[in-house]
Amino acid sequence: MALQTIVQTVARTLAEEMARDPSVVLLGEDVGKRGGVFLATEGLFDRFGPDRVIDTPLSEAAIIGAAIGMAVHGMRPVAEIQFADYVFPGFDQLVSQAAKLRYRSGGGFSAPMVVRMPAGGGVAGGHHHSQNPESHFVHTPGLHVVYPSTPSDTRGLLRSAIRGDDPVVFMEPKRLYRAVKEELDDDDATIPIGVARLRREGDDIVLISYGASMAETLKAAAALAAQGVSADVIDLRSLLPWDQDLVLERVARVGRVVVISEAPRTLSFASEVAATIAEEALDLLEAPPVRVTGFDVPYPYAQDRAYLPGPDRILHAVQRVLDY
Amino acid sequence: MIGNVRRFEPFGQAPIRVIDDDGRWVAPFACDLDEARLRAIYRDMLRARRFDERLSTLQRQGKVSFVASAAGHEATQVGAAHALDAGRDWVFPYYRDLALALALGWPLSEALAQQMASRIDPARGRQMPAHPGSAALRIFTTASAISSHVPPAVGSAMAQKLTGRGDVTLCSFGDGATSEGDWHAALNLAGAQGAPAVFLCQNNGYAISVAFRHQSGSADVATKAHAYGMPGYRVDGMDPLAAYYVTRQAVERAREGLGPALIEALVYRYGPHSNADDDGRYRPADEVAAWRRRDPIARYRRYLEGRGLWDDAAEAALAAEVKAEIDDAVRANEAAGRAPLGWMFDDVFADLPPHLRRQRDELALTHDLERDGH
Repeated sequence: MALQTIVQTVARTLAEEMARDPSVVLLGEDVGKRGGVFLATEGLFDRFGPDRVIDTPLSEAAIIGAAIGMAVHGMRPVAEIQFADYVFPGFDQLVSQAAKLRYRSGGGFSAPMVVRMPAGGGVAGGHHHSQNPESHFVHTPGLHVVYPSTPSDTRGLLRSAIRGDDPVVFMEPKRLYRAVKEELDDDDATIPIGVARLRREGDDIVLISYGASMAETLKAAAALAAQGVSADVIDLRSLLPWDQDLVLERVARVGRVVVISEAPRTLSFASEVAATIAEEALDLLEAPPVRVTGFDVPYPYAQDRAYLPGPDRILHAVQRVLDY
Repeated sequence: MIGNVRRFEPFGQAPIRVIDDDGRWVAPFACDLDEARLRAIYRDMLRARRFDERLSTLQRQGKVSFVASAAGHEATQVGAAHALDAGRDWVFPYYRDLALALALGWPLSEALAQQMASRIDPARGRQMPAHPGSAALRIFTTASAISSHVPPAVGSAMAQKLTGRGDVTLCSFGDGATSEGDWHAALNLAGAQGAPAVFLCQNNGYAISVAFRHQSGSADVATKAHAYGMPGYRVDGMDPLAAYYVTRQAVERAREGLGPALIEALVYRYGPHSNADDDGRYRPADEVAAWRRRDPIARYRRYLEGRGLWDDAAEAALAAEVKAEIDDAVRANEAAGRAPLGWMFDDVFADLPPHLRRQRDELALTHDLERDGH
């Protein structure tokens, strides 16, 4: 089978899920005839028709709200937000309605739905086409949050998200949409939400990241290997719930850790991981956990390559931890 | 069913009435409701009023933390409920819809369990009082966030259109809700989709303290329907039969695939916004008194009496029956106790994830999870 990109995998997985389950419907801006501005729904309108691939008005509140109402009826809506930066008009629908629906009703109602959103920088898009708003959703009990970085993880997690019984914020690394390619097995395997993946094994330092930053993290690990430093690399893949067990197990083994994420640092997911490591494994650490993140500024336009945690900043942090 | 009969034109200037303030039939068509239905509408209004009064008492006794009285809104809520196929059609209510939920069949003991967060609340004591909801009756669980239920209601109607089973969605809200972005986004989507949704605005003239003229530059709410490609009806919301017949027409249109409609029912809340409000700061007492003189229960009773369907004996029997029902519900909920601490961690997700298991264990170190909440 030919190599598949992440965005091709999204379209293919959506098609497979729609063929498998007639209750799966897509809705969003430009998802129909246009096939999505990134082509993540390419070909689906022609194959499944306007009742299952719904071009909506330009309103994120309407898109997410409608998905909630359809989910309550037993449908399995997959909503697309064109850029994660534009989710905020629909933020109240996610926070006030979807996230709390099961809880508010004592389990009487639920919203099994997926809200897909391309996220992350490095695409010359300025602050309204580049952000990583995952902390907002992780901080909202009732939502699952996933952020894969490879085609195979995208496929397995998207299947779990669509088939699961809870609302899922499904963030997609648009910088890697066409940059990472894999051959996909012809299977129907799911990847459980909440399970991380060890991308590389090493004994000197643990690097933890997720989403688009995985690419830079793996580059840093390769550069370290050339210097004779072996790095363990964990791809979290799921941010809520997240795989504390694997993280603590690997950190306990090595005793040195750097957490990488391109969102602004304060209250970032990297901070949550670092705090948990400090709280649960301090006596096993050889050095303080260090975060390499975006800065606490609005996502910059002309400086975004420096804003993003690239291999240079990751390697600098690793040296600091090794030298501690 | 009245089939294709269209009794009311949208966007009329005068509010639609079926009976006048003296209870005389004034509509240009004959009543087609049977006597049992006509009496049930009265019963549902009076029962809601009495329950509402008891809730205020329970609030003063410290047994209920919050009351948002529906007194003055009963005609609209009960009339609309009777125009629906309860348990088949979906209803997305707002916090003042207690009379609507009761008229749809929400058991009064369950309704009280919601107010008291007792252990017999099917919603497990999760919501503050005045938040109706029943999965069994397809009454969506109320959210405090104003208008946040309107986009999901449209999604419900879109699902109904796709499945083609003929059920419809009624979404209810106050006048303040019409200022929220979600409200406009939702009505716009409903219009674009031709979704079988009926939007019911209970315009009582005030969003807490802000009068409608400060809420909107529109002359009224019904007008806004123009923009979204649907009919808008203005109704005397103190007339239960007007609320019934107009809602019935909107529901029938929706069932037939003719799309959504907006109904503006002119009502008045007799009490403050909630027990925490002081309405004397923003509206004159004589305005309240004038509306109370138009009370929908007294007005409708005059209609029933004129047709020989109601008298003092029937009133006394109903009052006694309702009092006993409320007394029983209070006893049952007090005996049940409050939702226990341990329930805090359930129903966040379909399954309890590891981090919530750890947090529940952490609370158990300092608290008895079986203990009543507070």
